[in-house]
Amino acid sequence: MTPFPKYLKLSAIAASGLILCAQGDQVPQHIDIKQLSKTVEDVVVPLPNEIFGALNKLGAVNWKEHVRSDKGTNFTERPRIALLLGTVIADGFIAVQAEDAPTVKEIGQRVLTLAKGIGVGNSITPHAKAIIEAADKRNWDGVRQELDRTQNSVQQAMNEVHDEKLSQLVSLGGWLRGTEVLTSVVSKHFSADGAELLHQPDLLSYFQTRLQAMPEFNVPIIREIENALGQVKPLIDVGKARIPPESVKKINEITTRLGGGITTRD
Amino acid sequence: MNASVKVLLRGSSLLAALIVLHPTVFASVDDAQSFALQAAEPYVKEGFQVREDYWGGDLASGEKKAVRQQLFKGNEYWFWLGTEVERAKISVHIYDSDGKLAEEPDGWQKGHFAAAHVIPKTTGSYFVIVNIEESPEERTHWALVYGFR
Repeated sequence: MTPFPKYLKLSAIAASGLILCAQGDQVPQHIDIKQLSKTVEDVVVPLPNEIFGALNKLGAVNWKEHVRSDKGTNFTERPRIALLLGTVIADGFIAVQAEDAPTVKEIGQRVLTLAKGIGVGNSITPHAKAIIEAADKRNWDGVRQELDRTQNSVQQAMNEVHDEKLSQLVSLGGWLRGTEVLTSVVSKHFSADGAELLHQPDLLSYFQTRLQAMPEFNVPIIREIENALGQVKPLIDVGKARIPPESVKKINEITTRLGGGITTRD
Repeated sequence: MNASVKVLLRGSSLLAALIVLHPTVFASVDDAQSFALQAAEPYVKEGFQVREDYWGGDLASGEKKAVRQQLFKGNEYWFWLGTEVERAKISVHIYDSDGKLAEEPDGWQKGHFAAAHVIPKTTGSYFVIVNIEESPEERTHWALVYGFR
């Protein structure tokens, strides 16, 4: 069951969102999007494997070279733990793509440790167990499902205690790691279709807006990410034009640098 | 009448009152979500991964809501809409960032369930339009889930 705070959040979203007029049974072939809300408050941040799945269809990817299993630094600052948690969950999806069971199991354990670090360990224990069991059985779809459930449970638990901002940092951490891997793959074997997967300007704006609303998080990496997103935005917000190889490379440099900042102490 | 009997009677009256109240008094977005997930169930067997996260809220009869979603070319998506109000008629449709209908023709609408299918031609933002076409309730809870493969 979705907890009451989430219900409140959803109701608020619905109330603040755009209410359109009914148009009868005929499905209009065209709508005026200028009348639609410009906010992306309603956006569900895509999972890294949503992007990886699309990438896989463009050609074989050597996922093993992107697997990362180092335990990383133990942080005490909750925003840093939240960012790292999102990154580690994304690493879990990469390990699943590589069908690397030992790494998936390590990641399951690491997710649990990080979740405990921000006080939401209890809601994650069954998922961590399920990840490990599914990895043992090499049930990759099961691991993917459990990683999604893990992220959802972490965020739900955070929202329950009004830690929505930390919850957003979990999503951001995952998105940055996913983008780092996406740009790495596309840089090595450039294709216009691969680069097009970076066309996510609204999602980027969504994260920018969220970061701007976190002045209380006096953590250098947060400000660094905020600045970096400002550099990435013009590279991916190209309208109907194609994203060139040099932009992909540049985004990879930026996200790799940020990834290093998220996993290691300043 | 002793105090415990009074408490018992008062409790019974309250229980009776709760029973006769319309079920929708207690309904929530959670109930709507369980119907949306029910609509999604057969697609899991076809390889769709249904996201845990979802949208939801409540709308009056005849009202629509637009939500924006990032979709990736190469993937295939289904969006499933549900409500617990069985006599409601609901629909869901998907438009691209130019406002052009972007869905496949196999979307469907069956009373308090509806679904839309999209195979994005480009990567970018899409608009998912949720519509409570008819409902006997003043406000109708809705929930939208999606899956991809």
